Amino acid sequence: MEHRKVRGNGIDIHVAIQGPSDGPIVLLLHGFPTLWYSWRHQIPGLAALGYRAVAPDLRGYGDSDAPPEISSYTCFHIVGDLIAVITALTEEKVFVVGHDWGALIAWYLCLFRPDKVKALVNLSVPFSFRPTNPTVKPLDGLRKFYGEDFYMCRFQEVGEIEAEISEVGIERVVRRILTYRMPRPLILPKDKSFWGSKDETIPLPSWLREEDVAYYVRKFEEKGFTGGVNFYRNFDRNNEMLGPWVGCKIQVPTKFVIGDQDLVYYMPGVKEYIHGPNFKEDVPLLEEPVVMEGVAHFINQEKPQEILRLIVDFIFKF
Amino acid sequence: MEKIEHTTISTNGINMHVASIGSGPVILFLHGFPDLWYSWRHQLLSFADLGYRAIAPDLRGYGDSDAPPSPDSYTILHIVGDLVGLLNSLGVDRVFLVGHDWGAIVAWWLCMIRPDRVNALVNTSVVFNPRNPSVKPVDAFRALFGDDYYVCRFQEPGEIEEDFAQADTKKLINRFFTSRNPRPPCIPKTLGFRGLPDPPPLPAWLTEQDVRFYADKFSQKGFTGGLNYYRALNLSWELTAPWAGLQIKVPVKFIVGDLDLTYHIPGTKEYIHEGGLKKHVPFLQEVVVMEGVGHFLHQEKPDEVTDHIYGFFKKF
Repeated sequence: MEHRKVRGNGIDIHVAIQGPSDGPIVLLLHGFPTLWYSWRHQIPGLAALGYRAVAPDLRGYGDSDAPPEISSYTCFHIVGDLIAVITALTEEKVFVVGHDWGALIAWYLCLFRPDKVKALVNLSVPFSFRPTNPTVKPLDGLRKFYGEDFYMCRFQEVGEIEAEISEVGIERVVRRILTYRMPRPLILPKDKSFWGSKDETIPLPSWLREEDVAYYVRKFEEKGFTGGVNFYRNFDRNNEMLGPWVGCKIQVPTKFVIGDQDLVYYMPGVKEYIHGPNFKEDVPLLEEPVVMEGVAHFINQEKPQEILRLIVDFIFKF
Repeated sequence: MEKIEHTTISTNGINMHVASIGSGPVILFLHGFPDLWYSWRHQLLSFADLGYRAIAPDLRGYGDSDAPPSPDSYTILHIVGDLVGLLNSLGVDRVFLVGHDWGAIVAWWLCMIRPDRVNALVNTSVVFNPRNPSVKPVDAFRALFGDDYYVCRFQEPGEIEEDFAQADTKKLINRFFTSRNPRPPCIPKTLGFRGLPDPPPLPAWLTEQDVRFYADKFSQKGFTGGLNYYRALNLSWELTAPWAGLQIKVPVKFIVGDLDLTYHIPGTKEYIHEGGLKKHVPFLQEVVVMEGVGHFLHQEKPDEVTDHIYGFFKKF
């Protein structure tokens, strides 16, 4: 595995790359609050099969640059970064695999540049989070439905969640989030009770080692969380500018996978969207969605071999 | 003119005033600065007679359409979003597209990001300028033409509005519309528009009534909406990174008057005639340079321009 910095779209983007230099590229996009590292099991597996696995730290994360302005974290900036990474490496179309925010960004990448994506495997976040008429702001909808303490609402006030994370401690925050398995939306009461008491240890599941947590903690200690949180601070702004794509379908062959203990699966409308006709209507080239029993949000870390298998079996067709 | 219908459509978070007439395949006409739907008054009537449905909105910030206050609401994504919303609301899948000036820039970008909504494009006056990855557009203009270049003078919110407010709007409209000066327009800070000589008598193609229509609308609305497009240029540049290097894949015909100041921007003639434009617009099929014609070509020579447009769209 190689670690490289690609200069593009005005920033330096750190990428982990493994696989033959002429192998078809698989672009792996992490979410919040993880890093390129969340693909550590899939990268060598893809490389061994002749693909070139490319896993960036998204803007604001890890060893990539984190511009200071919130306005530098719209979906247009991030997709711009990825186009720069892709064009630096190849003129061909690429395979894209996304998880969490990486999945949402991957949907936008397919909307904006379908000419660059050969096929898509998206994890956890379905296309129900598509562009909508900006008369209703997405955050207002979320706030009305879940209340002020819904985590996305708690992320809005600049510095607030950063201060809370600082007080609770990054280690505790990372452990708590990665091990969260409640089949319901993530509510963070302002009394910080979600994080548990400082004496209470948070044991790790079999799929997460102490050194994995240590890697995340080290990187978030270096960088802070502001970069990643800034993605959420652009929800309304993104939707304001996604007008050209309201009603636009995804025209890329797509595989979608979600765990049935993923908190996203329990957000309003998501189950109905995944199992009903709308998903296939919006994504005509969608294969039958896969719901993995007993698996929570961090699916590519919890079931690494199964996810690798699903990716490979799908992209092999193209 | 009475046959032209005026409606208001809710789209992309704004109310948009739309002038339309006729039935048949839809042609969407996009005006520039400082202009209105009215720019296309001749083409609206002609194309209705030719069996098309001709539609000309007041773009965001202009005339009887909404004008949100902040320049950040005028990125190219906002404007294209307005038009896609308009098409969705009219139930139109694909349109023929005609653009002029800022409307041409909007048309290039509609074709770039939603080529699936456009059959063919006739664009006028302003070529497609590919995104320079290292230089923002306003910075580039400043380096090329200096701080008094109109694009630079338009940047500071409120500043040029004072000059507009002090000037006689009818005289300004006359000046802007009938200018045949090929040099890059500069507005020295010390003079503002007071530096402009009194305009000559109106040419045949621009009547008192026309000037009064424009002056009334701009006196009501002000110029800020239109100016905000210029103020969002650098922001639009930042936001369009995803389309860096992408070609425009729509059949195109390009028309410009040889007295248009845009035609005289250094490098433009070579860019148009020696393959530069074609490199970025591979389906560019025809280029027409109209002799002795200025910036507002479709108002100056309406029948000729209508014929050029019709001749092209007929093929599809």
